[in-house]
Amino acid sequence: MRAPDRLHGFRVVASPQALDRLTWPDGSVTLRLAPDDLFVVGPGTFAKAGEPAIVEQEAGFVGWWLTLEELHEHVLEHVDWPLPASRPALAQGLIAGVPAKLWLTLDRALLLCPAAYAHELEARLP
Amino acid sequence: MSAEAGRFVMDGQRLPYEPGDTVAMAVVRAGEHPLHGGTLCLAGDCGNCVAEVDGIAWVRTCLTPASADLEVRRHPASGPPPWRPPADEARHVAVRRLETDLVVVGGGESGRAALAEAERAGRDVMLLDAGDGTEVVAIYAGPTVIARTPAGMLHLRAKEVVVATGAAEIQPVCPGNRLMGLLTAQAAQRLHAAGVDLGVAVAVGEPADGVPCTALPGELVRIEGEGRVSAVVTAQDGNETTTPCQTVILGLGRAPRDVLSRMANDLPVRVVGSAAATFPLPPAPTAGIVCPCAGVGVDDLEGVWARGFNELELVKRASLAGTGTCQGSVCLPHVRAWIAARTGQAPEPFTARPASRQITLAEAAADLHIDAFRRTSLHDEHVALGAQMDRFGGWWRPWHYGDHLAEYRAVREAVSLGDVSTLGKFVVSGPDALAFLQRLYPTDVATIRTGRSRYALLLNERGHVIDDGMICREADDRFVLTFTTGGAGNAEMWMRDWIETWGLRVLLLDRTMSLAAINVTGPRAAELLARVGLAEPPRFLQHVHVELAGMPCHVMRLSFTGEASFEIHHPIDRSTDLWRGLMAVGKDLGIRPHGLQALFALRLEKGHVIIGMDTELDTTPRRLGMDWAVNMDKPDFIGREALARTAALPDRRRLVGLTMAGAAPTEGSPIWSDGDVIGHVTSSFTSPTLGRAVMLGWLKRAPFPEQVEIDRRPAHVAAPPFYDPEGLRARA
Repeated sequence: MRAPDRLHGFRVVASPQALDRLTWPDGSVTLRLAPDDLFVVGPGTFAKAGEPAIVEQEAGFVGWWLTLEELHEHVLEHVDWPLPASRPALAQGLIAGVPAKLWLTLDRALLLCPAAYAHELEARLP
Repeated sequence: MSAEAGRFVMDGQRLPYEPGDTVAMAVVRAGEHPLHGGTLCLAGDCGNCVAEVDGIAWVRTCLTPASADLEVRRHPASGPPPWRPPADEARHVAVRRLETDLVVVGGGESGRAALAEAERAGRDVMLLDAGDGTEVVAIYAGPTVIARTPAGMLHLRAKEVVVATGAAEIQPVCPGNRLMGLLTAQAAQRLHAAGVDLGVAVAVGEPADGVPCTALPGELVRIEGEGRVSAVVTAQDGNETTTPCQTVILGLGRAPRDVLSRMANDLPVRVVGSAAATFPLPPAPTAGIVCPCAGVGVDDLEGVWARGFNELELVKRASLAGTGTCQGSVCLPHVRAWIAARTGQAPEPFTARPASRQITLAEAAADLHIDAFRRTSLHDEHVALGAQMDRFGGWWRPWHYGDHLAEYRAVREAVSLGDVSTLGKFVVSGPDALAFLQRLYPTDVATIRTGRSRYALLLNERGHVIDDGMICREADDRFVLTFTTGGAGNAEMWMRDWIETWGLRVLLLDRTMSLAAINVTGPRAAELLARVGLAEPPRFLQHVHVELAGMPCHVMRLSFTGEASFEIHHPIDRSTDLWRGLMAVGKDLGIRPHGLQALFALRLEKGHVIIGMDTELDTTPRRLGMDWAVNMDKPDFIGREALARTAALPDRRRLVGLTMAGAAPTEGSPIWSDGDVIGHVTSSFTSPTLGRAVMLGWLKRAPFPEQVEIDRRPAHVAAPPFYDPEGLRARA
């Protein structure tokens, strides 16, 4: 597996309802890591507006943008949990034994994991 | 099956085979036996034909097509095959994962009927049949069906499984049943159809259709011969008859081939056809080998029964019958019959456990990975500095950089850097943040002012210490918490669980893997930090957000080493820059990094405990001598009730400081008093600063003595800290 790219962005932790109300420009990669936890990949920031929230710059993840062919060739053999059927979708779980996430769109996928685990994923995926 | 005749190698000899032969058939055709003796079923049900094939032991040769490139070695007549290290690299076994609605195991009449029925109903169905090379070896929860295929392992998740694996033939249990020349009826038919000459053959029980043989009336008594069968003895109306022969064909009945369903209790698994049928048990055996795989005889069953193992599962465990190659396929009907003869009731078959077939370690581990260990963003920096890396708390961490005493001295005398990125780091915020932390911690969090921090224990409901760390207040409703490296994961679950349980409006963000942290420690630490922009260092237990070396940092003033220490939390992607910058500007100050070995020694001189190393699962603050970390005036916090209830009770356990002359004893050494072991050492270090050994250790007998013996030497109980007891250096 080639070396990953560091993913810069920011995290927003707020109530699920508050996060549901947020809107982002088309093409934004917004990963809902948990009902109350959002990771927005890319530059920018988020201004708190009344609702309680934790907003922090995030550089702790690395990722690999993959074509669907690369996804099938390198990754899916090592995923032993069902992928969501809809697109776009975020899926999370162990990939080759490493905690990782998949952002799946119709034409490509982002494989990401905490940078602390990147070496393990690099070594374990063909 | 091979389409052409040829030869393969067995035990160093080239052995011919005919088109369509399995290895076992070719061996019998050559007048040999794959395992030197025992009834052959040639259906994969027993373990009487297993051999080493191409370096893999315990392979059923009756299911292995003969081919010219095979190398077969027979196992010894008794005992396991010799271990031979693999000649090649570990074999990679691919895993294919599929999902379906229904899996049918077995392609016989019943299996095909189940397949057709499911297809008519429009269900997504897959049929797996050993005859097609797909050998199902296990059914796990899910249900998930595990099968071995020529292309690797197949992991098939289904909503339902149908087991249609038919029935296996009963094998004989009597004296002589380990001789060569014994065949089940279906094995005889297969060999006859393949043109194998069976010699002078006789049949006992149900005859084998189409196989030339003499059918003998009566019941089987014993088989005679030396290595190979020479005669069979049958009995009818009390009269025994001895019949000379070269082959005995045994039609002794059938038993369900239901091992897969017996490992799938409470799963949606349906058994159909012969696998679900009820067959009469064979007569209770009176002599001979019952379980050829484990070498268990009737006398062994009698022995375990006499010792009180009077139930089928216990007989299995005590005798090992049913635990071998065939997983009870051969012996289970006989053992059930044997128990029925004693109790008057046939027991239900015993539970089966995966795998039902011998699989290699590579096949078993085909989808498994060793634990993933994290690296900090400074990992490469440590390696470049010559660090010996080791695994602690799920992370790779530097143990030392070649000279742990030099690292220790750098901390005590100059300045040193430690990578503490692995510490748990959390942001807690929200309207109920303070209320939450007041209930979470035994310390009074409300008295921590903004910009200040405090060391705190984390307790469970029983008042036992489960972790420790710092509470840093950043605003009225915002806190940064730290936890131990190994405890961060549990701490997060713990906090989320309680937030939900209490229904509080609290937001929680785990920053453990998003922020790096460097501990700058030593008497010249502040001087070093001034060079990278920290003009006004925070005082002890203060924390500030500042820009250092051009990057936003959260600097916490605390001390684990006993010297002035500044823990700098900073963006993970800038960590190498900060580390190198500090190392560069600190050269003239005598800076060097320190690893865990030095850190453990430094903190031990201060008497600081490491949770999990110095503590036990039921360690209370009192046992640690850390009652000062608990504020019982608070109306409520996790563990308060337990601590209040146990406060008045006598306690015979205490973690104490210990010192002794000379070198430190090994951690874990027993602590002796009056000839008895009364505890053990949890941490030890030969302090070059103090000139003696310092330790922490548990005393588990009250009254606690002042003098003990460790390593056959006198040791003294001494209250820590051993170094700088007034704490002046940490506050300097």
